Amino acid sequence: MMRVFTMEFQKIKRKGIFTTIAILLGVQCLWGLWSFGRMSGEKLAQGWFQCLYHFPILNAIMMPVVIAVLVSRLCDVEHKGQTFKLLETIIPAETLFHAKYLCGVIHVTAIALLQVFMILAFGVIKGFGGPIPWDKILFYLISTIGVHVTILLLQQVLSLHFANQMVPLTVGLLGSLAGLFTMFLPKGVGKLLIWGYYGVMMRVGLNWDPSTRISDFYYVPVDWLGVFLLAFMFAGIYVYGRRSFARKEW
Amino acid sequence: MLFKIIQAEQMKLKRSPVWLAFFLLPILPAFMGTFNYVQNVGILDDYWYSLWTQHTLFTCYFFLPATIGVYCSYLCRLEHTNHNWNSVMTLPVPIPYIYLSKLFTASVMVLATQVWVGILFIISGKLSHLPGPVPPELFEWLAYGAIGGIVICGVQLCLSLIIRSFAVPVGIAMIGGIGSVAALSKGAGALYPYSLMSIGMRANSPGGPMICTPGQLVLSSVLFLGASTVIAVLWLRNKDVVAA
Repeated sequence: MMRVFTMEFQKIKRKGIFTTIAILLGVQCLWGLWSFGRMSGEKLAQGWFQCLYHFPILNAIMMPVVIAVLVSRLCDVEHKGQTFKLLETIIPAETLFHAKYLCGVIHVTAIALLQVFMILAFGVIKGFGGPIPWDKILFYLISTIGVHVTILLLQQVLSLHFANQMVPLTVGLLGSLAGLFTMFLPKGVGKLLIWGYYGVMMRVGLNWDPSTRISDFYYVPVDWLGVFLLAFMFAGIYVYGRRSFARKEW
Repeated sequence: MLFKIIQAEQMKLKRSPVWLAFFLLPILPAFMGTFNYVQNVGILDDYWYSLWTQHTLFTCYFFLPATIGVYCSYLCRLEHTNHNWNSVMTLPVPIPYIYLSKLFTASVMVLATQVWVGILFIISGKLSHLPGPVPPELFEWLAYGAIGGIVICGVQLCLSLIIRSFAVPVGIAMIGGIGSVAALSKGAGALYPYSLMSIGMRANSPGGPMICTPGQLVLSSVLFLGASTVIAVLWLRNKDVVAA
């Protein structure tokens, strides 16, 4: 397994995947500098709320497409070289499936970790009000990784199944759009789609007064039903995806 | 000659479900945007104009550029695989025609998408029982949006010719779309190819004037299209031998 896993990293050598991640984080960092750089007074006092509210929205817009691109890069290399048949004569299909998945998981976990470091850096440098809400930030990190890896799994199943990478990328795009929209709809709608879980897992709510145009943030409790549903979806996609890949004729 | 190459492009797309993405993409914002509009009629009080914002805001900033990116990647995929660039480049056709035929094919899809967005908007408005007639500016929004979309096609085709991966140009289109928010906020929308579509469709201020004049939009579009055509032709002329 370890050998197959390290092979995955050799396959993506010079494929620009780390550049993609760096660009993604760069865009998020620029967004942060642009929006937090101008903050002062009241807004700065609610800085942690602002971060925990806006970064999930950024994730919902960007991450499904970024994950689709990442997975497509990992799987398309086999489709292009028509190497599945060859590889499956040497290693079990499940091992290949797991190796590719773990490779993707490492990338998305790195993205989430770096994003949290970025949030903490913004908070400390700009001097957000109040102590660092470690528990909320830790939940944000874990839940974000949870949603990332579930979407990653779905994208991998699609990217392995369809030689035409247009299909998984379109699904990623539509998912991203649907996930973003569900954030503005009742929370139950978001629970129906895996891309909606960036919103479901949010620990911050927003009260916006249209007459005064003042927004007020508040913490919301963990949506445990959402956590279980996400875990259930993950298990379902994993069981189906692993089986369908192992049984596929190339 | 050009017509024949366009026909060849159509043949390559035969029985391909690539149009499905453009069919499905506008349905989501139409459905969810209308639902959101109906839920917030108190705040969104500008009837048809508010509904237009709900339908188009996210779509033309973030998602239409990326969907066009998918389509353009698909249009170049066949040539990138199995050494097909060698076959294409040895055909007795002028090199610009190869790029222009792909641009034409992508532009037709953008035009069809705009018509579909318009139809969905009218249906959603009627189903929501909006008072008053359909805004007379609708055709203008769609037409200028289509011009902006064709510019994105030009840029994305250029990227998909240069970058051999299917997915990377899509990622660039997504980042490009997000960059359009920054370009618009800095007042440089007309100078940035990915924001021309949202300017044309007037996604954030349908009732007001365009951020730049229509003349500026068209001029900027022509310049970007010209530049991407020149870059693509030069690239094909000089780099076509790399057909691995």
